[in-house]
Amino acid sequence: MASDVIIIGAGLNGLVAANYLAKAGKRVLVLERRAVAGGQAVTEAFGSGFRLDVLHAGGQLRPDIVSDLGLDVPASRSEPLISVLPGGGQLRLTADSDDRTLASIGSVSKRDAERWPGFVAFMSEASGFLDAAYRTPMPRLPNVSFSEGLPLAKLAMNLRQLGPRDMFRVIRALPMSALELTEEWFESDAVRAAIGAVAVHGATLGPMSAGTGYTLMHNWLNRGGLGHRRVEGGVGRIADALVAALKARGGEVRLSADVKRIILDDQTVRGVRLANGEEIAASTVMSAADPRHTLLTLVGAPELPPEFVWAAQSIKMRGSVAKVHLLTDGNHGLPAGTLIVAPSVRYVERAYDAAKYGQVSQQPYLEITADGAVVSLHYQFAPYALRERDWGQERAVLERSAVDTAAAAFPQLRSSIREIKSLTPLDLERTYGLTEGDLNHGQLILDQMFFMRPMPGWSTHKTPIDGLFLCGSGVHGGGGISGAAGRNAAKVVLKA
Amino acid sequence: MLSTLELKVTPFHERTSRLSVAQNWRRWAGYRVVGSYDLSLDHEYWAIRDRAALIDVSPLMKYVIEGPDAARLLHRLTPRDIDRMTVGQVAYTGWCDEEGKLIDDGTISRLGPQHFRLTAAEPSLRWLSMNAVGMDVRITELTDQVAALSLQGPKSRAVLNRVCKDKLDGLKYFRWMNTSVGNVPISVSRTGYTGDLGFELWMEADQALPVWDALMTAGDDYGITPCGILAMDMARVEAGLFMLDVDYTAAPHAWIEGQKSSPLEMGLDWAVNLDKKGYFVGRRALEREKREGSAWRMVGIEVEWEGLERLFAEVGLPPQIPSMAVRESRPIMCDGKQVGYASTSTWSPVLKKYIALAHVQRPYYEVGTSVLMEVTVEHHRKYAPAKVVKLPFYEPAWKKK
Repeated sequence: MASDVIIIGAGLNGLVAANYLAKAGKRVLVLERRAVAGGQAVTEAFGSGFRLDVLHAGGQLRPDIVSDLGLDVPASRSEPLISVLPGGGQLRLTADSDDRTLASIGSVSKRDAERWPGFVAFMSEASGFLDAAYRTPMPRLPNVSFSEGLPLAKLAMNLRQLGPRDMFRVIRALPMSALELTEEWFESDAVRAAIGAVAVHGATLGPMSAGTGYTLMHNWLNRGGLGHRRVEGGVGRIADALVAALKARGGEVRLSADVKRIILDDQTVRGVRLANGEEIAASTVMSAADPRHTLLTLVGAPELPPEFVWAAQSIKMRGSVAKVHLLTDGNHGLPAGTLIVAPSVRYVERAYDAAKYGQVSQQPYLEITADGAVVSLHYQFAPYALRERDWGQERAVLERSAVDTAAAAFPQLRSSIREIKSLTPLDLERTYGLTEGDLNHGQLILDQMFFMRPMPGWSTHKTPIDGLFLCGSGVHGGGGISGAAGRNAAKVVLKA
Repeated sequence: MLSTLELKVTPFHERTSRLSVAQNWRRWAGYRVVGSYDLSLDHEYWAIRDRAALIDVSPLMKYVIEGPDAARLLHRLTPRDIDRMTVGQVAYTGWCDEEGKLIDDGTISRLGPQHFRLTAAEPSLRWLSMNAVGMDVRITELTDQVAALSLQGPKSRAVLNRVCKDKLDGLKYFRWMNTSVGNVPISVSRTGYTGDLGFELWMEADQALPVWDALMTAGDDYGITPCGILAMDMARVEAGLFMLDVDYTAAPHAWIEGQKSSPLEMGLDWAVNLDKKGYFVGRRALEREKREGSAWRMVGIEVEWEGLERLFAEVGLPPQIPSMAVRESRPIMCDGKQVGYASTSTWSPVLKKYIALAHVQRPYYEVGTSVLMEVTVEHHRKYAPAKVVKLPFYEPAWKKK
């Protein structure tokens, strides 16, 4: 039977959108390029004995999405963020300000420990505001119609309800750098650096970059705090729950169905064409692929207005995250938690500096997580666009720097390694379809947020092509794998 | 330092500058060109209408577009159906932004299946490149490398037949062909900006002077006359041809929406092919305008002589008409309110009429509507009775023959 809506990409945003539509009675077909659903939230096996959360060590859907869709998602737990300090010390940070956290902060600064609960409260408010913003349809500036302005007015009310002092603090913090923000709260460089590392996680920015106040709120919101939210059995189970719910609602997911072209007739969607030549008709297509790939490759620049093409070309996609997975004999000696190597603000900023100049950081900011015998290193910064070398040459450098840096913090690790498997930004593009290896489908920067995401004037999930909507991480509600973008886009499609 | 501020000169400057008695220079797209050679425009104007006028039009922006997607690019860029253009054909076209408002206008010559020449009034490389994203096409600007001469007037063909290796009798209106003058290869298109029989000649800039000389020698018997752009300006108004930033504001230059014009508003319905296949820039907006009707239209305004005579008689003067095309906005009135404005007005020597190109609002743009045009009579604003007429004002039988 023909589908009402085709969704390109079975990542969390695509699957969330599919579920909302199916719940509203639409016949939905999700087409996934890979042989596994989940997109970035994927748990897969490779090599000999690796089975792990390949890209994100944890994750969660927004609670409202879970309840809207009645999803049977596995329980997740937020783990502490543990910053490994030079000389073997550890700084333990949690959002619930328990005694261990306060004691740990107190060991570097008494004053900072006193201030910690206040900071957590502020961040909870700030991320709460961001959550509300991500649920609010954005107007198409500069010409805002009344109906578009109304939800925004509600958001302003929400913000106002924070109270004048907090409202001001939240707005002020958005464009600030993480360094400036944390300087106002804490005196310890180690505390500032740990928070700064969370702020730049997944972004090609340093803790001294403007707008990392915003990315800090964003990552705090998506993680529900500082450390990762591990999923029992792997993040892939979130996708499994979404697929099961979709099937129960009569929707379908087709794996290994690689969409190569969105078929148009007179600027109107007619369906899609797969790599094998098969054509599937539908009058509505939603793409969870990144906006640049969707518009310039699947639709094609010749079918789109020139100014729009210019804007799509200008979306900043600057991936600089690499992953290095280590299969160990189990004696890696890592404690539980989200471990980071980000001992000072300067260290993290230096790591980012390399990316600015098209080089792989020799002393990277690392996030280290262990799942049984598998140790995963999230590596920043490793830019997609290398200035003088290519990723064929640079992979060995990446793996060596990753292991050296991690082993300096956990000496037992080196001898436990049995196998190394790395993913460069180029691998992220080729295997996971992330243009320029950008996990967020477009950088989270001040000129690409809210009504400017994915580009100014097009924050409504619509495109110049009738029947084509964007629902991935690159549109309002994203980035990240929270499902917010998929939920927002589905609401637009249901209204259309 | 000073030299960088000087205007460029055209490949014909060595000839045109020596012939210019008036030294009346005009700036055109960064070039210095002759406004008029003579102190009065009569001789040059009548060369266009009665003899053969030789006009240096080298400052026209010229682009060559080649490659497998060349036709696709122009098809997307313009509202013309490029798929239906044959090699040898020339098409006049405007092109729009996505809101269907004119950016520029010019001609497209199909030089080969994958080879086109585009002329434009404004630098267009950026816009062309923006439209070529994802296409296999090469765009080259040849404005400075290609010299262009316009030979206009009823005797233009006879003159060309004397100097060109091939006879031009078979060259139809809006077609082009390759030939040579002496040993200089040229291409000739039967196009122009006067509404008369006429041709435009395209050649390498460094071989331009021999072509000029050959034409002047061969045209002597026919009264060939070098003609500046001011006389051409009068002729183009008679021909109902409009000019960028005079009769319409190019969309990128407009300060406000109201200053922009669509090709339908400019009366270019015949050059807007909404039946063609595929996307082109501004398609949706133009379809909507076609459905809903245009709010404005460019029309001809003909001032009624007796009425004008009366206005001047009141102050004891005979009618005073500008002797050249005037680029001044003049209100057009009807039913006691303003319904439009004339953008260029001129005395038409061949028609013996005072005419104007004007933007007029619906429903006043219907042919035959009686309106008033503001004129200045001895420093006072007056309103001369006028009529909305069909364009062009003047179209000689030999234009397309």
